[in-house]
Amino acid sequence: MESRKKKEKTADGLLIFLVLLLVVCGLIFLYSTSAYNGRVKFHDSAYYFKKQLFATSLGLMGMYLVSFMDYNFLVKMAPFLYGVSLLLSLAVLLFGDEYNGSKRWLSLGPLSFQPSEFAKVAVILLLAWVITKGKEENRGILYMAGRMAILLPIVGLVGTNNLSTAVIILGIGVILIFVSNPRYLPFVGIGGVGVVFIGIFLGMASYRLERLAIWRNPEAYEKGFQTIQGLYAIGSGGIFGKGLGSSLQKLGFVPEAQNDMIFSIICEETGLAGGCLVILVFGLLIWRLMVTATHAQDLCGSLLAAGIMAHMAIQVILNIAVVTNTIPNTGITLPFISYGGTSVLFLLGEMGIALSVSRRRKD
Amino acid sequence: MKKNRTYHKKKTVIVFGVFVCMLLGLAGRMFYLMVIRSDYYSEKAQELHERERDIKAARGKILDCNGEVLADNKAVCTISVIHSQITEPEKVIAMLVKELGISEEIARKRVETVSSIERIETNVEKSVGDKIRSYGLDGVKVDEDYKRDYPYEELASKVLGFTGGDNQGIVGLEVKYEDVLKGIDGKILTTTDARGVELSELGESRIEPVEGYNLQTSLDKNIQMYAQQAALKVMEEKEAQGVSILLMNPQNGEIYANVNVPEYNLNDPFTLNTDQDTSQMTEEEFQDACNQMWRNPTINDTYEPGSTFKIITMAAGLSQGVVDLDDQFSCPGYKIVEDRRIHCHKRTGHGAENFVEGAMNSCNPVFIEVGLRLGAETYYHYFEKFGLMEKTGIDLPGEAGTIMHKKEDIGQVELATISFGQSFQITPIQLATTVSSIVNGGKRVTPHFGVRVTDNDGNLIEELSYETQEGIVSSQVSEEVRYILEKVVSEGSGKNAAIEGRTIGGKTATSQTLPRSENRYISSFLGFTPAENPQILGIVVIYDPQGVYYGGTIAAPVMKDIYQNILPYMGIEG
Repeated sequence: MESRKKKEKTADGLLIFLVLLLVVCGLIFLYSTSAYNGRVKFHDSAYYFKKQLFATSLGLMGMYLVSFMDYNFLVKMAPFLYGVSLLLSLAVLLFGDEYNGSKRWLSLGPLSFQPSEFAKVAVILLLAWVITKGKEENRGILYMAGRMAILLPIVGLVGTNNLSTAVIILGIGVILIFVSNPRYLPFVGIGGVGVVFIGIFLGMASYRLERLAIWRNPEAYEKGFQTIQGLYAIGSGGIFGKGLGSSLQKLGFVPEAQNDMIFSIICEETGLAGGCLVILVFGLLIWRLMVTATHAQDLCGSLLAAGIMAHMAIQVILNIAVVTNTIPNTGITLPFISYGGTSVLFLLGEMGIALSVSRRRKD
Repeated sequence: MKKNRTYHKKKTVIVFGVFVCMLLGLAGRMFYLMVIRSDYYSEKAQELHERERDIKAARGKILDCNGEVLADNKAVCTISVIHSQITEPEKVIAMLVKELGISEEIARKRVETVSSIERIETNVEKSVGDKIRSYGLDGVKVDEDYKRDYPYEELASKVLGFTGGDNQGIVGLEVKYEDVLKGIDGKILTTTDARGVELSELGESRIEPVEGYNLQTSLDKNIQMYAQQAALKVMEEKEAQGVSILLMNPQNGEIYANVNVPEYNLNDPFTLNTDQDTSQMTEEEFQDACNQMWRNPTINDTYEPGSTFKIITMAAGLSQGVVDLDDQFSCPGYKIVEDRRIHCHKRTGHGAENFVEGAMNSCNPVFIEVGLRLGAETYYHYFEKFGLMEKTGIDLPGEAGTIMHKKEDIGQVELATISFGQSFQITPIQLATTVSSIVNGGKRVTPHFGVRVTDNDGNLIEELSYETQEGIVSSQVSEEVRYILEKVVSEGSGKNAAIEGRTIGGKTATSQTLPRSENRYISSFLGFTPAENPQILGIVVIYDPQGVYYGGTIAAPVMKDIYQNILPYMGIEG
C-alpha cells in the first residue's frame, strides 16, 4: 500500500544528471579517440561516433521508459529474461561472429548484439528475484551456495568466450548475496576460497601465467604491446594533458583505442586532472546508486540498486586497473565511454531500473 | 514484500566504501604514472612518434700550410622514397630510372619495399636532385647532402685519403682526423602516426648540424706538386714500379710533402691507377687491388734501407767512441766475418781510407768494422735508443713496424749486414725520422701532417702538439755526422745531389729486394740542407728501376732537382 503513495516522487535528479554527463562526455571522448581509426578503416571520421550515438539515443529512450516501470514487474520477469539470456549466449557460441579472436556478437542484419551485456542485467534481476523469494531465516552457507549455483549456467556460457564478463557476473552475485545476508564471517571464508581458486586457475594454464609475466614487465613481451602503448599514452598526458583531440597514441599506436583502452587516451588528452574527474564522476554515480539502494522502499529495490552499483563499480575499477597495468590485461570496457552499442544500451537500461527504484524511495 | 533492513543498508555502504577505496587507489596509481613516471613514458612515446632524418654536417676541410684547400665539400643530394606516402608508384619508378640511370628492376624493388624510408642513391649531383624535386611526386625525398671533393684530384692522394658514402673517412688523414673533421649531424624530426604517415599539422623540428673543424696540415701544395712532377719524371725515365718522396722539417717533424707515385684520383678512388683489366677480377681481387693502390709505401711498407742506414751505424759508433773521424781503415774489396766473405760494392777495394773517406765511398768493410767494434749488444742498444724499434707515431693509419732480428739471434754475420743496412726492414718514414733526430742535434721528433685545428672562420680550436725526446745523440756526434754527410755529397758518392752555393748532407743507397735472385733493386737518397743547420730533410725512394739502379746515379739527382726548385721558394739559404 505504501508504494502506491510514493509513486508520485520524482526520480533522482542528480543521478540523471551524472548519467547524462557521462554519456555526453563519453560521446566526445569517443569521437576524439575513434576519428583516426574511423578515417583509416572506413573513410569516415564519425563512423564509430554515429553508431554509438544511435545506440545511446536508443538507450536514453529505454532508460526513460524503464524509469516509469514498476521494478517489481521486471523482477517478476527475471526467470524469463534469464532464460532468454541463456539462449542468446548459447546462440553466440553456435552462430556468433568472431572479432579479434573472440565470439561475442550476434548479427541481425546491419545490427549486431552482444548477449553478454544483456546477461549482466538479467543476472541482477534474477538474483533480486531469488533472494526476495527465499525465506529470511535460512540463509546459511549452503543456501547461499545454492543461490550462486543458479548463476553457473550463464557464467559457463559467457565465460567460454568472455572471461572478464563472467568474472563481473560472479562479482555481482557475491556482492548481492553479501548484502542480503546479515553475517560477515562466511564471506571472509568465501574470499579465502576465491583466492585459492584463482591461484589454481592461473596455474592450470601456462598462457595465464604468461599474462602475469607480461603484467609485471610489459616492455619485455611482444604481447605487452597494448599495455605498453596504453602506459605511454597515460604517462605522456602529465598533469593537464595534451588537450582534447591532441592524442598521438590514438593514431594507431594504441590498437582499437576506442574500445577497452579509451581511458588511456582520456588521460593523454586531459591529463591527471581529466582522468581524476572521470573517476570522480563515476564515484558520484556509484554514490547515488548506493543512496538509492539504502533509501529503497523494499529489499527488492535495494538489491537491484546495489547490483547495479556493483556492476558499475566493478567494471570501472577493473577497466582502469587494466589500463593503468595495475592488474593483468583482460578485456573490460569503460561504462558509457568505451565504444559498444549493446553495452551502452543495457547500461542505460540499468540506469532506468535504478531511477525506477529511486522514484519509490523512502525518505 | 521484503523489508530493506538496516543490515542490508549497512552492508551496501560497506561495499560502497570498498569501491571508493579501490577508486582512490587507482587514482594514486594514476598519479604515479602521470606525474612521477611521466617523463619516462613521454620520452618513450615521443621516440615512438618521431621519425628522424639526418641533416649531414659539412665535413671540415683539409688545408695545406698556406690555407689552400686540399679536401673540400660540394653539395649533392640523397634520394629516398617513403613507401607509405607514394601515390603514383609507376611514375616514381619511371622517374628514378630516367634520372638516376638505375635499372627498372632495382627501382621497383626499392619503391615496393615496405619500410619507413628507403634510400635509393646518395651523392647525386645537385642539378639532378633539383630536377627530381621538380617532378613533385609524393613520397620522394630529396635531401641535401655534402660530398667530399678533392680539387687537386691525385695530389697527396695516399696522405689525404678519401671518404665513403656516408662521408666517413676511410683511409689517410680523412680517417685519422675523423673526429675533428666530421662535425655533428643535425636532424629533422617529424611526428608520424603508427603507419609512419607524417602529421603535417605538427610541423617538423630541426636540430641544426654543426660543421666539422678544418685541419691545417704542414703539407705545402706547391712543394707537393713539384715533388710529384719530379717523381713522375724519374718513374717514367727509369720505368720504375713506383717512386716515393718525403720532405720534412728535421727540426720539428712537420712534413712538407709526401709523394707516392703512381697516385690515384681521390675523387674516383675505386678506379685502379694501373691498366689492369678489372672485368676479369673477382670482387675480392678487385678489393685487394684497391687496397694496394691506397697504400702509402712511405709509411705502410718496409724495405731494406741499405747504405743510407750507415748513418745510424756511424752515429752509434761515434757515440760509443769506437771510431773517430781520423781512424784509418783498409778495404781490400771484401771483409771476412766468421767464415763469410762479405764484398764491398767496389770489388777491387777502396784501399787505405780514413773513416770520413770510408763514408764518402760508402765502403761496406769500414762500416762492418765499426759494427763489429760495437758488438751486437751495444749495437742493439743504439738501435733501440734511436727509436728504431718503435713506430714513429706519424698521424696516418697503418704505420708498419720495424722487422728486426731478435737480439739473441744477432751473430757476427748478422751484425755485419745490419751495419750497412741489410737483413732487416724499416719504413722510409722511420729512416727519415731517425736521421732527422741524429742531424738536428739529438732530438727525436714525431713526423706529422696535422698542425692545427680551426673552425670555418679561421679561429684556432687546437694547436696539435707532438712528442719529442731529447738526447738521442750528443750535439757533438750530431755535428760530426752532419760534417761527414756533407762530405759525402760535396766530394763522395752523393755528389750528384750537390748544388753550387749550398751545403747539403746526404747518403745514397742501393738495396736489393727479396728474393735476391730476381735482381730487383730499390735506389734511394736521403739528403738535408743546410748541412750545418738542417731545415729540410728529404728522402727519394725509387722502387724497381730498370737499367742503371745506383742510388747515387738516379735518386740523388732527383733530390738535387727538387732542392734547386723549392729552396728559393722556401727562402732557405746556405
